[in-house]
Amino acid sequence: MNKLKGTIKHIQSAENISIVDVEIDNQNFRAIVLETPETSSYLKEGNQVFILFKETEVSIGKIIKGEISLSNRIKCRIKKIKKGKILTELKLLFNNTYITSIITTASAERLNLKEGEKVEAFIKANEVSIMEIVDG
Amino acid sequence: MIEIDIEKKLFSHTGEMNLKIKTSAKKGDFVTVFGESGAGKTTFLRILAGLEKPDEGYIKVDNQVWFDSTAKINLPPQKRKIGFVFQDYALFPNMTVEENILFAMEKKDKKFLENLLELIDLKALKNRKPQTLSGGQKQRVALARAIARKPEILLLDEPLSALDIKTRHILQEEIANIHKQFKLTTFLVSHDYSEIFKLSNKVIYIKNGKILKEGSPEEVFLENRISGKVKFTGEVLSIKKEDIVYVLTVAVGNNIIRVIATEEEIKNIKIGDKLLIAVKAFNPIIFKINS
Repeated sequence: MNKLKGTIKHIQSAENISIVDVEIDNQNFRAIVLETPETSSYLKEGNQVFILFKETEVSIGKIIKGEISLSNRIKCRIKKIKKGKILTELKLLFNNTYITSIITTASAERLNLKEGEKVEAFIKANEVSIMEIVDG
Repeated sequence: MIEIDIEKKLFSHTGEMNLKIKTSAKKGDFVTVFGESGAGKTTFLRILAGLEKPDEGYIKVDNQVWFDSTAKINLPPQKRKIGFVFQDYALFPNMTVEENILFAMEKKDKKFLENLLELIDLKALKNRKPQTLSGGQKQRVALARAIARKPEILLLDEPLSALDIKTRHILQEEIANIHKQFKLTTFLVSHDYSEIFKLSNKVIYIKNGKILKEGSPEEVFLENRISGKVKFTGEVLSIKKEDIVYVLTVAVGNNIIRVIATEEEIKNIKIGDKLLIAVKAFNPIIFKINS
């Protein structure tokens, strides 16, 4: 699980659904959740929260041109590749923050991914959860 | 209705502790008393049973006073309508199953005995001596013996913790059944989350002798601070490495589910651990089941 700490910059709600923008290490992450500031007190602009997303929900792109509906596009550098028979784990760095992606080894080979290379990580907003930070 | 407001100074190897419990239970409640060892759970049960005397306070059961420090009332255990089951079965080794149960009865009621043997599935074992029984069977006898007193309150102090998972599940069903059938109010000491969620409608979470949290199992245990809308609690049955990831097999209620985890995630997870599994409301695929 990727778990990153950030600050809520903006919330847009309609009925029970909210789009929440969280800034992490100068990078915006967008989450869509079935919660609103009314139902969850931690959804407040300026609040610190964790965002959570599964490694297997992080797609990788290389030299992607054109538009895509997906909200979260993060420019990263591949720091480490761990190749398995079916799956490959990538440690990615943006600014000073690491995220992990797990893709198929077939895709990793098709993209010819190498350590040190620049790629883009894609995460759909509906795959991103938000977690309240509780002290102690 | 049971109303409890008691205080007792306890001395243990970790030092002095003040047990201070104020709570209540309605008739028919199944209350789990939860907390670390040494939190005062067993003492609390023993106080309810009359085996230990609080320093101060009162215990009222349906407006009958069982204990009142100011009025100097303290009903002895045999005057309190309670049944008690401990972790160690505490059966009389020289008596048969039937004799063990009969011994506990105030009036020897053969018909009720037959009912009990039937209900708790002990008929075939009634002439056996305890040492010839398995752990699960012994605990069934202990349960039958506790019920033989026709209690209103059943006190269970980790009755299933020494049993294997399968036997534990069977006995959980039997306990739920007995609780309902005899319209009991039950207090259970347990650490097993699936047991707690299955059996109890109320949890008292005790820490250092004080109530830390009180409410339904969901209110006490399920953290509401993750935006995932689909949440389960389960117990880890196995952890297997597959390729570069791990597959966790988790018992969630009566279902077995499998989830993928990374090496990092399983670092602090071992078999038997309790997990909260959350999925975003956007992700599950739904199918209507046609009957």
